[in-house]
Amino acid sequence: MTDLLQLVFAGLAQGSVYGLVALGFVAIFAVREIVNLVQGEYAALAGLSAISAVGAGLPLVVAVLVVIPLVMGIAVLLERLTIAPIKKMTPLTSIILTLGVSTAVKAIMLLIWGPEAKGLPTFPGSDMTIGGVSIRSQELWVLGISVIVAYATIWFYEHTIRGKSLRACAEQPVAARLVGISPRTATVVAFAVAGFTGAVAGVVGSPIYLSSWQSGLSLGLKGFVAATLGGLTSLRVAMFGGVLLGVLENLVAGYLSSGYRDAVAFVVLVLVLLFRPHGLARKTSGVRV
Amino acid sequence: MNPMLKRQLPFLGLAVAMLLFGLLAPHQMVDVGIWALIYGIAAIGLSLLMGLAGQVSLGHAAFIAVGAYTQALLVGNAGWNPLLAAPVAVVASMLVALLVGLPLLRLRGHFLALATLGLGIIVGVFVNEQEFTGGTSGIFGLPNLEFGGRSYDTAQEYFLLLTPVVVIGLWLANNVVHSRTGRALSAVNDSEVAAECLGVDTFALRLRVFVLSAAYAGLSGVFYTHWLTIVNPSVSHFELSVKILLMVVLGGLGTVWGAVIGAIAVQLLDEGLREIIPVLIPSAKGEIQLIGFGVVLVLVIILMPGGLAQLWNKLRSAVQERRHPIIRGEHEHPISQKEQRELLEESLTLLARSDHMPAGQIILKIRGLTKRYGGVTALDHLDLDVKAGEIMALIGPNGAGKTTAFNMITGVLPPTEGSVVLQGIEVAGKQPHVAAAIGATRTFQNLQTFKSTTVIGNVKVARHLRSKAGLLRGMLLLDRAEEKLIDEASQAAIDAMGLTALADKPIADLAFGKQRQVEVARAMALEPSVLLLDEPMAGLSGPERDSLSWLLRRVKDSGVTVLLVEHDVAAVMALADRVAVLDDGKLISLGTPAVVTSDPKVIAAYLGEEDSDTNDSTAGATAAAPTTAIPATGGPA
Amino acid sequence: MQRSMRVLSTGLAIGLAVSMAACSESKTPTTTPAGTDAGGEIKVGVVLDITGAGASLGVPERQTVEMLADQVNAAGGINGRKLKLFIEDNQSTEDGAAKATSKLLNTEKVDILLGASRTGPSLAMRPLAEKAEKPMISFAANAKIVEGSKWVFKTAQNDRVVLENMVDDMKAKGLTKVAVARDASGFGEGIPEMLTEIGKTAGITVAAVEKFAPDATDFTSQMTNLRASAPQAVLIWGIPPAAGLAQKAYKQLALNVPVYQSHGIGNQAFLDTAGDTANGLRAPLGRMLVADQLAADDPQKPVVTKFIADFKAKYNASPSTFAGHAYDGFMIAVESLKKAGTDPVKLRDAIEATSKWPGVSGVFTMTPTDHSGLTKDALVIVTVDNKAWKVAG
Repeated sequence: MTDLLQLVFAGLAQGSVYGLVALGFVAIFAVREIVNLVQGEYAALAGLSAISAVGAGLPLVVAVLVVIPLVMGIAVLLERLTIAPIKKMTPLTSIILTLGVSTAVKAIMLLIWGPEAKGLPTFPGSDMTIGGVSIRSQELWVLGISVIVAYATIWFYEHTIRGKSLRACAEQPVAARLVGISPRTATVVAFAVAGFTGAVAGVVGSPIYLSSWQSGLSLGLKGFVAATLGGLTSLRVAMFGGVLLGVLENLVAGYLSSGYRDAVAFVVLVLVLLFRPHGLARKTSGVRV
Repeated sequence: MNPMLKRQLPFLGLAVAMLLFGLLAPHQMVDVGIWALIYGIAAIGLSLLMGLAGQVSLGHAAFIAVGAYTQALLVGNAGWNPLLAAPVAVVASMLVALLVGLPLLRLRGHFLALATLGLGIIVGVFVNEQEFTGGTSGIFGLPNLEFGGRSYDTAQEYFLLLTPVVVIGLWLANNVVHSRTGRALSAVNDSEVAAECLGVDTFALRLRVFVLSAAYAGLSGVFYTHWLTIVNPSVSHFELSVKILLMVVLGGLGTVWGAVIGAIAVQLLDEGLREIIPVLIPSAKGEIQLIGFGVVLVLVIILMPGGLAQLWNKLRSAVQERRHPIIRGEHEHPISQKEQRELLEESLTLLARSDHMPAGQIILKIRGLTKRYGGVTALDHLDLDVKAGEIMALIGPNGAGKTTAFNMITGVLPPTEGSVVLQGIEVAGKQPHVAAAIGATRTFQNLQTFKSTTVIGNVKVARHLRSKAGLLRGMLLLDRAEEKLIDEASQAAIDAMGLTALADKPIADLAFGKQRQVEVARAMALEPSVLLLDEPMAGLSGPERDSLSWLLRRVKDSGVTVLLVEHDVAAVMALADRVAVLDDGKLISLGTPAVVTSDPKVIAAYLGEEDSDTNDSTAGATAAAPTTAIPATGGPA
Repeated sequence: MQRSMRVLSTGLAIGLAVSMAACSESKTPTTTPAGTDAGGEIKVGVVLDITGAGASLGVPERQTVEMLADQVNAAGGINGRKLKLFIEDNQSTEDGAAKATSKLLNTEKVDILLGASRTGPSLAMRPLAEKAEKPMISFAANAKIVEGSKWVFKTAQNDRVVLENMVDDMKAKGLTKVAVARDASGFGEGIPEMLTEIGKTAGITVAAVEKFAPDATDFTSQMTNLRASAPQAVLIWGIPPAAGLAQKAYKQLALNVPVYQSHGIGNQAFLDTAGDTANGLRAPLGRMLVADQLAADDPQKPVVTKFIADFKAKYNASPSTFAGHAYDGFMIAVESLKKAGTDPVKLRDAIEATSKWPGVSGVFTMTPTDHSGLTKDALVIVTVDNKAWKVAG
């Protein structure tokens, strides 16, 4: 029983990080129908930049507060440079394009930070053991910050006029323009939000899960799977899906074999697509003409 | 020279060039060349998948890995003859693709891409975890390829062995592009809905191409195994998938030649970057050549979406332009209406079929057909019987639900409820190709032409259901006789519409009205039993409208049922046997033109709608059709 | 479009072929005549994982080889013949290793092959060396690299040697129930099985086995399962940073039993990752890490001390164990070349005849059945005290 709780708890923390990355997928997909494969790179970039900032002598809090807007800026800049110039964006184009960007960003990180994985210092606090379940203080930080960020993101999209009209932009470009939001603004905001959730995932996760030039790949993939659970459009399900995935991975690693941990996400993806394809298709009744 | 033979010449040229390269180039270049060819085989397959099926595999290395591991296990562990093992290895890759493709290819857009990315990881984890695949060390100490008393263990010999494999692989792939399957899938990429309505089973064809592309990857894996003599999990890794993808994108989508050119270019780029980057940045460690891969991918997509092929074409046409400036202008020989009708009589005999339902029987039975979007009901319990051999017109103000009804009858939209029985078979909620196979096809209010091809190219797609060459026959060029028939029938349909002079023009160069005529010709080339035309007169000139009306009557005489939505009420009343009037989703009147035009409900509906109608047509500046939504007062002309 | 592509490709291919032919010097020789000792420069081909996943191994190995070649040449070469190094990067890939090896053998016609840094690329090189009948010395550890081979040798100790040391230590402490967390890659392959086999006589059993990916970062699930098996000792078999993170998780999940680590942790990166949690662990490591604590009469002492001093002087960093493997491989090659010259068969025989030769990783004695050359005496049990290596009492 203790073991089960231990595995579940570790999974909750890990899963929150996936959930944050998944939010970014949804934010962009809802506006541009693009699966942004650079999503995981935002997290890796934030983690590595924060490590360098701390290494340069900045206090942890300052480093984090500097890095998050930086990554948001880079996310928007990359969108302006690579995605904005494309006139006719097909799924094929968007995948190749964002794959290219993600590959280049990875290599740049490799060039700057080298191949080794590094970790940010843990946030303040001390580890504890409750009922035989060992809890790292960082895991509590991850959980707490994830909940706040996820809630804030959902609130922004669902309860502010601006957020609501941003989402409407995807479905009703004309209507959105009427309330004063251009598709361009909506895209920029979406990438900023994606950069934000990705960067937060990167910095809170870095002390436990480390950051390296290639940590974005699997993080991004798992975030995508979580987002798929929410049909790529539901922020709530995406966040919840991420947490679920994290728990499931830990249970598989604990009770089956840790070697299969990374396969869990994709088995889930295939199963979901197999049995709930309608839960995934955005508008099943949509006119295709 | 025979054009068919001429088409084969470049392959001969490639073979000779590769032979010379293999014999004369220094050892080190041949070594690089071998890898370009091994990965090039996989790239040819991926090029088919991306160019034809419009889908992308981000885990293509997984299929290479399945082929490589199967070959290694069979040859290394089970002691099979490599030549016997190779087909099994290829089939293993195909099976995996089939398993992945069956659930995933039904979904549009991004899912196959992401799922194949996951497949790459799963295959990697699997071979890493299993003992029979040798875990991380993999399977090593495998033999070089040996047959016919020769061991292909030097770079030169292996290159020369690969040469015919690549040339033949490319030839087969090129044949697929030009086959019935290739034509249909290319049409799907231009307009999926139009292709489906012409009977193209998108899913089935995509699945076949996906499986075929996995076969190429599997074959690539076989050659990988025998050259490297060691297979370990790294063969399934993401980096290799990206590399293969880059080969296809850089070479140019839509031409399989691009894959081979891309393979050479990327292999050289790879070698070059690995040499250059450490010199420029001495501290660089790791797979820094990825930076080049990423940047090249992005630049190609932004600046040169057609890859090297596009660049080559631009250069070539620029040179040609300078040498022989093209004289702009049409070379159409206008033919008189009389001549055209003579032509038409001839072509109609070609299209005539004897298996139409006897006139007067109910060919299309619609019951309770309803479509609701949230709270809005677009069509409300429509009941309608259409008799074989009649021309039935569906009219009504904008937003009355005419096109919605068409969409549900042809399977483009699933109905919320209700049934559509076509020639005794329920088609409601099925894919459009199902209705097409039963004999119902359509044209579209908003043009759905296949923009990347010519007029005749558009029409040929409609012969999909009237021909049957599969992937294999197309690959092996065993479809020539059938292709000839397709050409003839398509030409006949074009002649019938009076478009003979435009047959070889790119459809995108045609005026709107002409494109609409091509759509009608295309629909007729299918030899449908029920022809559904959505505003066929829109955008046509007066004489063109007269021709079309005349044509439709002739079509009807040959036993075809015609159902049309039309705004030109005068034309409708002149043409239709019966008219159904929809207003606000409901059928308000049904009968002969005379009955309908005197129905007070119809007059009220049209008068009441006039304002919003004009608003609509200005806002949605689509068809720019001179619609005349006035109450029809005149009787049948 | 189609046609033009064909014309393009044909033209391109012909162009390539012609230009290649023009600059081609030799018409692709396939095998080199064996058994000649022509004099002149001695060509040493080195294939290393300089970039990619194995870069942390390959880079110090390259530094070592370059440094040693300079030293040998500065001292007048081998029997008057200078050494010429051909260093190739295999990018940590198997196909890269095969490509590089075939280039060295066919184009550069090297007399001996060194490398690669890791098992996979070494295995890819092996058949090529055997086919060309040239001696090869790998710096990687896996016994499969040399098993049954006539031409291939290696200098990193076998896993067996490491486990024998551990079993001895466990036996002395009376620990019999061991839970193992091993690296899921080639480095950890077969370890629990081998431990069971070697530990049989000492009554040691393996209570639980968990695996972790080399790039794993969270070890909660593995350590939870190990804890559940109630072991008397834990063995973590991996390389940093994973080995260090596992060490941390072991402490954090309060597995209050002795912990053993493998020889894979012998570098600063491990100490940095594990921090204070490393205190008290036990690991069989080479003498290089504890060079300052060696007895004065230790045969390895002068070799190790000089190597560390030279390396520090030249690169301003401490050499890693991997640099040590490169030292041993290179110097065994040099010693054998001195005795036998460059005739491949004689050279191979000379390498196989290496006996009681003190290197950095241990004292080597090669035999026709042992192409690895190290016994369990090569290692000492080392512990960590406050981020420093100490010979365990």
